[in-house]
Amino acid sequence: MEWRHRHVIDLDTWDRSDLQFIMEQSRSMDELLDRPIKKVPALRGKLVVNLFFEASTRTRVSFELAEKFLSADVVNWSASGSSTGKGETLRDTAWTLEAMGADAVVIRHGAVGAADYLARKLRKSSVFNGGDGAHAHPTQALLDLYTAWKKLGDLDGMKMAMIGDVLHSRVARSDIIAFNRMGVKVELSGPATLMPRDTHALGAEFREDPRDALKGADIVYLLRIQRERQEEGMFPSLDEYHQFFGADDELLEFARPGALVMHPGPINRGVEISSTVADGAQSMILGQVRSGVALRMALLFVCLGGANQ
Amino acid sequence: MEDDPTDILIVDGTIEKICSGTDAGQADRSWDLCGLVLCPGFIDLHCHLRDPGQEWREDIISGSLAGAAGGYTTLVCMPNTDPPIDSPALVRYVLEKSGYGKGTRVLPAGCVSKGRKGKTLAEMGKMALAGAVLFTDDGSPVGDSNLLRLALQYSSRLGVRIMEHPEDSSLAFGAQVNDGICSTFSGLKGWPTAAEAADISRGISLCRDTGVPIHFTHVSSGESIEVLRSAKYSGLPVTCDVTPHHLSLAEGSVISSGYDGVFKVNPPLRSISDKDSLWEGIADGTVDAIATDHAPYHLDEKDLPFQEASFGIASLECAVAAVLNEWHRRGKPFPMERLLSLFTSGPSSILPKEWKWLGKIETGSPADLTVLDPELEREVDVKTWKSKARLSPWDGERLKGWPVMTLVMGETVHIDRESFKGRG
Repeated sequence: MEWRHRHVIDLDTWDRSDLQFIMEQSRSMDELLDRPIKKVPALRGKLVVNLFFEASTRTRVSFELAEKFLSADVVNWSASGSSTGKGETLRDTAWTLEAMGADAVVIRHGAVGAADYLARKLRKSSVFNGGDGAHAHPTQALLDLYTAWKKLGDLDGMKMAMIGDVLHSRVARSDIIAFNRMGVKVELSGPATLMPRDTHALGAEFREDPRDALKGADIVYLLRIQRERQEEGMFPSLDEYHQFFGADDELLEFARPGALVMHPGPINRGVEISSTVADGAQSMILGQVRSGVALRMALLFVCLGGANQ
Repeated sequence: MEDDPTDILIVDGTIEKICSGTDAGQADRSWDLCGLVLCPGFIDLHCHLRDPGQEWREDIISGSLAGAAGGYTTLVCMPNTDPPIDSPALVRYVLEKSGYGKGTRVLPAGCVSKGRKGKTLAEMGKMALAGAVLFTDDGSPVGDSNLLRLALQYSSRLGVRIMEHPEDSSLAFGAQVNDGICSTFSGLKGWPTAAEAADISRGISLCRDTGVPIHFTHVSSGESIEVLRSAKYSGLPVTCDVTPHHLSLAEGSVISSGYDGVFKVNPPLRSISDKDSLWEGIADGTVDAIATDHAPYHLDEKDLPFQEASFGIASLECAVAAVLNEWHRRGKPFPMERLLSLFTSGPSSILPKEWKWLGKIETGSPADLTVLDPELEREVDVKTWKSKARLSPWDGERLKGWPVMTLVMGETVHIDRESFKGRG
């Protein structure tokens, strides 16, 4: 297959065959992670820079492991204590990295549009969006898709219930697009104050009652609730959130038996998810973490050197 | 509008005669405008010239040249400068500096509130005397309803209108794009049209209460047009303007451009149906004027990731073309005169008595004239702009319908050499 995406900014222009291809590539990389020596020379001699303006351990480490397992040279550039603190613009940072020979830049930034912006400024390097504001987190969506596909096989015709703060969630936006494209019906629930204006245009239906969203769901996806949103007054208290929308054993009853429970992490125990569910048999949370490394290896390989060389 | 070819004789900056068959023999200079459209000089009720205090973005001189190149003969500049124009001294500063310019006339708007802080009335009487032509806290609404009411009552005798920037601050707080498709897909906070319509409804109630005229600027949504239509129908003295960017662009551009900050503006680009409503508002008389809201910035302030870029679109030099182009694109939904009145008689009706001659071609009036070539097609190139702004959503776009000559008090402040080869 001829891979046509130089950058991975969001999944808006990905079609089903792109997604399917990445799933299959991820499976090959997954097998690699079981080997005694977790290393292949696929990206040897390539320089990947992790440009993280927002604090992130999980995503950054996941990318870093993927890069290292593929034998790439890795540089971590964090915002604090760097030139950014001295007022260097993203534009100058981008050109500096390219001048230094970066083949790819993984960027996580608080501003929507930062990854698009970086891609416009770089002439040759590839850009991987590790999350730009509340807009997109394509690698999270892809690893979620891979996790579900690994476990359930062909997802066409299945249903996913997504509960939580969709309004502020880049994970939600990217996941809705990805799962829709693979034929999954997505229903949303959570406080109405935390829903985007036009969920229908996004590809998901809003259900006021989470039990309706969960009915017949093969996948239950929980989004993190941030304390700041409660402080901004968007809902009265974390406790009230948990009472009506928290995924506990009782709420999970409404989904299909054996439905997968997923969460992008880190979890807030007792808020959007109870400990019993988080640690229970249906939880795919740790599986998602593993998938994340395999997926990122697949993506880097496919965009930077593998398939087209 | 006259369709029959007619001649205009200008003597010492004043229109002396309008009739056909005038002998051009004795004139110092004459122009053949065959095939072109001669209009009263265009007026822009709302532009930001950033002077005093932010001259790295624009100043009165560059702004006036930019306006002339865009076909304007009069610009009303906004008072959200640094310091804000809230005193007669600063009003006089703008008028004096405008006199040094070689382009449009620049008239100052003064603040409604002292320091533009929205707390107490500014010295509107003294500013009016000094020459302020509008009062506005633009950039912000007059949030305190009681203050707005006092301002309307107090300014009534001055004959200088209050222009309200319609935004309910608590609803629009932190918002960056239209609350609709754009906010849904981008994750950026949405600016609901309710925030604009709510402020307009409040202003209309105060207009009814005080009996004093009020003007709403950069109206961007169908909901607002409905409210204004209704108020006008009741006979209330409310007026409004819309911008060239809201008339020709929509929220889809934000997404399709990959979140290019060049499309970031307040109020935001809205839905296609909002845009259609604005054009309906022009057709049925709800909209009184087109005002650019020209908001120039330095490249470094706009060339940033979308969420960090400054709000504002620079457009003086291609605003008229952008509107004419869209009018063509829509299949000329109403006669051109209707559209042109939004640049001429519409805006002049909002200005104080002494400026009412603007927007008309009459013997005895100063020769402020704009010549248009409605069929001319040309690409926008910001590199050639007189404005200091170097980023605009229409850069590189081919637009149809351009101003080709601008006269202020009989002086040619802009002429498109290409178009006038062999005409002079």
